[in-house]
Amino acid sequence: MDALAAGGTPIGVGRIDCAALSTREINRALRRASTEGVLSVSLLNPQGRHNLAVGLVDPLGIEVEGSAGYFLDGPRIRVRGNCGWSVGETILSGEIVVDGQAGNSAGASMRGGAVVIRGDVGARAGIAMKGGLLLIGGHVGYMSGFMMQKGTMIICGDAGPAIGDSMYDGRIFVAGKVEQPGTDAVVEDPTAEELRWLDETLLRYGFPAGGDFKKIISRRRLWNFSKKEIGVWIEAL
Amino acid sequence: MCGIAGFLYRDPERTGPVGATILGLLDVLGSRGTDGTGVALYGAPDGRGMLLRVWLGETPNPEARAVGLAERLRTVALVEGAEVRDDYVMIAVRPPHGEPASQGAWMAALIEAAEAGGEGAVFSAGHTLQITKAVGVAAPLGARYGLSGFEGTHGIGHTRLATESKVDVAHCHPFWARPYPDIAVVHNGQITNYRKLRRLMEMRGIRFATGNDSEIIALYLAERLGRGETLEAALRASIAELDGTFTYLVSTAAGIGMAKDNFATKPLVVAECAEWVAIASEERALSAVFEGPLSIYQPGAGEALVWMR
Repeated sequence: MDALAAGGTPIGVGRIDCAALSTREINRALRRASTEGVLSVSLLNPQGRHNLAVGLVDPLGIEVEGSAGYFLDGPRIRVRGNCGWSVGETILSGEIVVDGQAGNSAGASMRGGAVVIRGDVGARAGIAMKGGLLLIGGHVGYMSGFMMQKGTMIICGDAGPAIGDSMYDGRIFVAGKVEQPGTDAVVEDPTAEELRWLDETLLRYGFPAGGDFKKIISRRRLWNFSKKEIGVWIEAL
Repeated sequence: MCGIAGFLYRDPERTGPVGATILGLLDVLGSRGTDGTGVALYGAPDGRGMLLRVWLGETPNPEARAVGLAERLRTVALVEGAEVRDDYVMIAVRPPHGEPASQGAWMAALIEAAEAGGEGAVFSAGHTLQITKAVGVAAPLGARYGLSGFEGTHGIGHTRLATESKVDVAHCHPFWARPYPDIAVVHNGQITNYRKLRRLMEMRGIRFATGNDSEIIALYLAERLGRGETLEAALRASIAELDGTFTYLVSTAAGIGMAKDNFATKPLVVAECAEWVAIASEERALSAVFEGPLSIYQPGAGEALVWMR
């Protein structure tokens, strides 16, 4: 255990060796660091542990030196490994960047901030998204963007089946294949302004600009029930 | 939840500490379920014939039960040896007059003799497979059953969070695909068309040993493999025909397969290298057992994979 976890004097940059600590001890040390003005903390030996860095409200940079488990959350995080399920779920703001892959439900119900995964992610990425940016460098799994309400998803690889199914609003940009858009999702060409914004955003996170992006948005036929369009509802349900 | 794990050496000649490896993975996955733990381990073929792994029940004198069991088995087989450890016995048997005319009929006779009087439950049979399972967590199993020192070719394991059936040793995973030798299954999820499928299979003469919905996966796959289907074809068929949530692993003498339902409801992480394949519900189990950064793959919705030795 090192100075931070032991309650030592805060310094500009801290290190916590997770190996001998409980998750609660790690998160307490992070919370103390965030309230005492530490700029950034490295988490060593995270070993895919769940619930790291949850519930922090003050600014703090966190470098996870390895893989994190489920429900990784926090104000500004860089993961030098993979992530389990539900990375950045329901985050309000901040930025999470994962160098490797992530499991299911990446950025689920997120309301703001940015979740960036350089590799592939599992099923239901950005499900019920309510704002913010979800940027995936690789492919996304089944039913990503399901019932999305707001915000933007950028997928540099291929989209799994049922992408954008029953989405209310928001935008999904896909550079790879879109073989099976979800119910009520429609594929369009992005505007010139959107393509410029895509380039800027991709470059900001170290991805190459360009790419043959398509835009998926809601056709909005599920916004209001109409007996005349009963077929759409039968298909959707 | 439930946790599932597997490990396999790719080189068919290679053996190693498969018992300790699987138990190490299950130790971490214990947080996904503490109702039961079990392993299906494959040793190197040793020419001892058919190995019956029998649970002797709750008794103060398991040795006496093992002696009775061997006596009963002698009516249908040559008993080559028996080894009692705690509440389990491993009995090696051979057909009495060369190869039996019907392997299925002989297996049925073995099971009937072994389980007569309710004094034993056959948890596995095969030339290399042995299943050990118990109520509770993984940690005590290694010493209790000598699994930590088990050298073998591959294996699968399970930590159970009971949701559909009772908590006892018979309802723990892995499930042997009785009466087919050397096939076992571990499952994370629920099979919601279990009762309907079970009725149909029972009409075809298939016997179930427990009320656990996961058992049906083993029997379903075994029936198809018995008809000569490939493991991959059987896995694909199961994804279409089984309803509910599942990621499961199946092991045979030749390798390990996995299948995931069409909604990707249950996790699985695979780490592969030139020498071995390791599989677990969560990456943290793999990082606890294997050193260094792992190259991982997470199978998606409706995916089936097979790794052969």
